[in-house]
Amino acid sequence: MDPDTLELARLQFALTAGGHFLFVALTIGLATLVACVQTAATLTGNPVHERMTRFWGQLYVINYAVGIVTGLVMEFQFGLAWSGLMHAAGNVIGASLAMEALVAFVVEATFLGLWIFGWGRLNRWVHLGLIWVVVLTAYASAYWILVSNGFLQHPVGFERSGGQLRLTDAWAVLTNPTATTAFWHVLGGSLVTAGVFVAGVSALHLFRRTPEVKLFTASLRLGVLTALPALFVTVVAGGIQFSQLQPMKAAVFGQDDAEVAALQAAQTARFGPGDYVPPDAWTRGGAIVMLLAFALLLYLLLPSALLALITPVVRRFRLWHLVLVAAVPLPYVAMLAGWVFREMGRQPWVIDGVLRVEDAVSDVSAAAMRTSLLVFTVLFGLLLVVNWWLLLRQALRGPGAVALGRMPEETRPLSPTF
Amino acid sequence: MELLAIAVLGVFALGYFLLGGADIGVGMLLPALGRDAHQRHLVVTSIAPFFLGNEVWLVATAAFLVGAFPELEGRLLTGLLPAVVALLASWVVRDMGLWLRGRAEARAWWAVCDAATTAGSWGVALSWGWMFAGLLAGQVDAVATGPGALPAAAAVATLFAVHGLAFARLRLAGTLHQRAAALFGRFGEWPGLALTSGAMALLCLAVGFQLPLREHAADPGTLGLLLPAALVLTPVLVAAQACVWWVFRARAEGPLYL
Repeated sequence: MDPDTLELARLQFALTAGGHFLFVALTIGLATLVACVQTAATLTGNPVHERMTRFWGQLYVINYAVGIVTGLVMEFQFGLAWSGLMHAAGNVIGASLAMEALVAFVVEATFLGLWIFGWGRLNRWVHLGLIWVVVLTAYASAYWILVSNGFLQHPVGFERSGGQLRLTDAWAVLTNPTATTAFWHVLGGSLVTAGVFVAGVSALHLFRRTPEVKLFTASLRLGVLTALPALFVTVVAGGIQFSQLQPMKAAVFGQDDAEVAALQAAQTARFGPGDYVPPDAWTRGGAIVMLLAFALLLYLLLPSALLALITPVVRRFRLWHLVLVAAVPLPYVAMLAGWVFREMGRQPWVIDGVLRVEDAVSDVSAAAMRTSLLVFTVLFGLLLVVNWWLLLRQALRGPGAVALGRMPEETRPLSPTF
Repeated sequence: MELLAIAVLGVFALGYFLLGGADIGVGMLLPALGRDAHQRHLVVTSIAPFFLGNEVWLVATAAFLVGAFPELEGRLLTGLLPAVVALLASWVVRDMGLWLRGRAEARAWWAVCDAATTAGSWGVALSWGWMFAGLLAGQVDAVATGPGALPAAAAVATLFAVHGLAFARLRLAGTLHQRAAALFGRFGEWPGLALTSGAMALLCLAVGFQLPLREHAADPGTLGLLLPAALVLTPVLVAAQACVWWVFRARAEGPLYL
């Protein structure tokens, strides 16, 4: 096989997974906030809450729609570029990837469609129930993906037979600690992302003194007061993960050269000659950027949570508004850097101690891989730009211009198809 | 157990090609059915509430293929890589055209989105045609490149378009309805759709029988996990989609969210 194919396939996976995650991070958290606001709106009938639901719901739907299509590419990527992984470990991770799509995404997308288009046509309690199904299935989706990823980090519940892995203990795979702690870490991180996003967009409106003061005061508060506790969840789950690192990743992160050499020798003895040390710059760099972004968020959110309690401050502290706007990218940086640390730190393995990345790549020509890399990179780049342009545009235009849930001016008599 | 797994895969795949095939066909004919921005908006509305639910069937098909036939999935996708990449890229372009059309109010934006929907729909249909051309000839590990590939792909794409037309006829009203109905002459609305659906189903079955599914099913342990999940899920999915179809049974006469 062409060695270029491997590098191109790795780059393609990194870019598509990273690109997809930028959408996922906001989607999971924002869905939760929209569901909470809609619950408040349904319980109290407060028009501000109702408008909040539609405004943030609109931003959520834009982000989700673009996120779906990047996820589709992800789903097919395993078979396209990593058929060696599916050949060796399909019995284990194929199942969890399938469960993600079957029991989580499929239900999520179907109910989301009903939520979007059924606005005003369905009973409001049913409509509220729909968004909660969407939220819970989004969580389930994250869980199943992390079960797949957790297996790659720390394989459990399997045996080797021939060249393939066989599932022996499904429960061990489902409760794999590298999957469950990562789940809470990602969930917390998504809520931080969404909280800071909501706070940032609200701050921008308050800074520009748009007329929707009440709505954005409540939203800014919601964002900040979600992000701070979510940050603690993220940190605790992240801290636990440090105790679960592969020894080599931990040694590289801790710059313990003696330990790195000892582990390299041990792995050489066990698996034959090879380079078992992950790339130092990416691994440590990822961890350091993640921790720095976390520190900045903590210093920002702690005082922000206090300031958010004082209504005149929320409405008029313009310097703080700008700081909140500037903070919107921070959780994204932390999330991506965290993934770089997690994934680069287990090189050269795709399944730790079981299957090497070079043995997992599909047997396709470098030219074919280069073409698909080019196609997906251009598409994803375009999607990111369009997504952020539309999000920003919709966010700036405010709640008055939201199409989601807007009632039609006239109701025509039905002429049914069915 | 392998047979049950194959049956589930078949149901998911048929769900996609019958339901999704219809909205892809409508997308292909968007400029032919809608002659101005307003008419095209109505054509998009005729599939707007359904297309996400429809393509979910393909996601389920692919997922079930990964879970229950992992090795075959890797082999198929790697072998058919150029066609799969073309399918995915077209799918992305088409969905963006549909999802984002209504997010800005400018003729140029609508034109760009409609062009994306149309081109993407053609791309999806032709990619399937390209894949089917090889698979029908029993060629699993590589895309068809012979002289027959292009006509076969075009024929499959035409079937998508005609199926879409039969569906558009049911969903549209007034002038647009008449435009969609022109091809079918005196043939009724429902018989027309039944005919195109039958043709689509036959094509899918023919392709399915060419795939070496029985030899490639996953371990019983893995199937024992997946099959119950799929069997529980399917009625939920069908019920939720039936609900969508019932809520949006009205013909597209005024614009919806997209």
